[in-house]
Amino acid sequence: MAEVQLKSLRKVYPHERGARHGIGKKRASQRKSNLEVTDEGVVAVQDFDLTVHDKEFVVLVGPSGCGKSTTLRMIAGLEDITSGDLLIDGKRVNDVAPKDRDIAMVFQSYALYPNMTVYENMAFTLRLKKVPDAEVDEKVRAAAKTLGITEYLDRKPRALSGGQRQRVAIGRAIVRNPKVFLMDEPLSNLDAKLRNQMRAELIKLRHKVDGTFVYVTHDQTEAMTLGDRIVVMRDGYVQQVGTPQEVFDHPANLFVAGFIGMPQMNFFPAALRKAQGGYELATDFGCVPLAERTSRALAQAGAGEAEVTAGVRPEQIQVHATQVEGALHAVIDVSELMGSTVHVHARVGANDFVFVVPTAELSREDGRAYADGDEIWFTFEPNAVHLFDRATEKNLI
Amino acid sequence: MGKVLRRWWPLFVLPCALSFTFGFIIPFVQGAYLSFCEFKVINKAKFVGLSNYVAAFQDEQFVHAFWLTALFALVVTVLVNVIALAIALALTRSRLGGTNVFRTVFFMPNLIGGIVLGYIWNILINAVLSVAGQQLLALNTTAGFWGLVILTLWQQVGYMMIIYIAGLQSIPSDYLEAAKVDGATAWQTLWKVKIPNLMPTITICLFLTITNGFKLFDQNLALTGGDPNHMSELLALNIYNTFYSRVGAKWMGIGQAKAVIFCVLVIAIALVQLKITKSKEVQQ
Repeated sequence: MAEVQLKSLRKVYPHERGARHGIGKKRASQRKSNLEVTDEGVVAVQDFDLTVHDKEFVVLVGPSGCGKSTTLRMIAGLEDITSGDLLIDGKRVNDVAPKDRDIAMVFQSYALYPNMTVYENMAFTLRLKKVPDAEVDEKVRAAAKTLGITEYLDRKPRALSGGQRQRVAIGRAIVRNPKVFLMDEPLSNLDAKLRNQMRAELIKLRHKVDGTFVYVTHDQTEAMTLGDRIVVMRDGYVQQVGTPQEVFDHPANLFVAGFIGMPQMNFFPAALRKAQGGYELATDFGCVPLAERTSRALAQAGAGEAEVTAGVRPEQIQVHATQVEGALHAVIDVSELMGSTVHVHARVGANDFVFVVPTAELSREDGRAYADGDEIWFTFEPNAVHLFDRATEKNLI
Repeated sequence: MGKVLRRWWPLFVLPCALSFTFGFIIPFVQGAYLSFCEFKVINKAKFVGLSNYVAAFQDEQFVHAFWLTALFALVVTVLVNVIALAIALALTRSRLGGTNVFRTVFFMPNLIGGIVLGYIWNILINAVLSVAGQQLLALNTTAGFWGLVILTLWQQVGYMMIIYIAGLQSIPSDYLEAAKVDGATAWQTLWKVKIPNLMPTITICLFLTITNGFKLFDQNLALTGGDPNHMSELLALNIYNTFYSRVGAKWMGIGQAKAVIFCVLVIAIALVQLKITKSKEVQQ
């Protein structure tokens, strides 16, 4: 049983001494461009509320400097908490030393002690706790077996590859059998192939060790595949908390919609208008009637006619070689073959769109491949359109 | 560029090679040869075999200076490194204010020459001794030895501290944070994480303090001048006195022999130390 609660957690980095006003503010704001700067200092994390349930895997995701690592470090006890409460199993641990929080952390750099062998690295924390040698040995070997690193136990970290070091770092965390595992971008130092492999292993590992996980990454694929729930952050603020599916299907605002999803959602300015039996969008490339479910949701939300930013995911657009009924017109700029799919970049009115077309469907109905400059037509899948308030950027539904 | 260098490299090497040859290699070889000779002026040297070496080892003052220097080097090496590391650890704590001021203050004695330092500390220590009702440096062997130790500490701690600070700052903060999460106390972190990762720095500092300890000359000359009766005389000063202060043709050859012994000794000790500490170094 390990539940982590973050209540109105806040982190402010004070201004450098002697530069409290004016210059200090300017410097601080230049350093971390979009973070809020107050008289106290630079606000790195603002009003963070979250409950990580027992045995849950929560991923904090966001661009660089969004405060995700700072939040993790506050949970670890490596950063002071400016205000708010941090509770582990209902006990307030704001002022408890890291070692007494019953947590284990995996660092981005792995932070394996270079002077110790793999075995010693993994045994270090148990030895400090004066665990009997036989028990240390048993735990280290069990963890090594789980991770497949038994044969490296006598080696020093420098003699290991990146992937092996990563396993040792995870092994060092699991020998302690902690309440909470904290992982700070553990895969970002690995090459793409190894990262995919380790990601799959992390999913397996998670079922083997019963623990609560808080995982930080800037990689949305990791977030989507690993997390039970993901927390999207930006500029120190939580943007949305939800399951990967929720965040993908119902992004709370324009930022989340743009951040989650590869390739990015297509955005275009539009005017939301009431039409017969529902709503429609007036755009510079034509009129887009909204599906019934979307219209119903809009009506329930009490949406009136408004200027909005609309978004449609590239995968939810059907591309046609010839004009079909209700299809909109586009001109291909360039296309990128990604393997199983092709990303077609096209001009739609004054907007740039990306369409994802399966490679198998690449050739047009007349048998010719799409070429740059070709005219194509497209339709949106039902309920594919997301609508965001132009001013607040919040999802209207 | 590479082509020009390949062709003309002897020209570029020449100035340095010439000065090194005439300024170091030739005098060194000549000096080594003269240690086997009796001479007053070097072009009238008479080869006498090993007799200078025999005489050197039979010279009680030399043997005394040898053991005194060994003891001095040991004491100074331990104290300088322990104190310098302790100060470096204190001054790398991020929460301590005014660390730059302290660093500067601790480093400053290193900028003053040894002779000047020697005379200043001579006045200072004599004043303290007289207040305490003890014999002054000229008659007080113990005070002479510890005076030299204190002076050397005062001069070298700041320098070694700077090197230790650089070493400490190069330890990745992740190691220290990992140790914190692993549950290590400050003391355990020091011994298990910081010091093992500081071994390259320790190698350099030990090398410098050991060789400085053995080679100490001007501070010795200015503070005690070897008084009373050569009892506070370290090896370098003993060699100098043998060569310049003793009357008789044989003493120059003996002084030369002592210098060669001294050189071999310092090189041997430094090499042994380097070998031992290097083996403890870790690669990150």
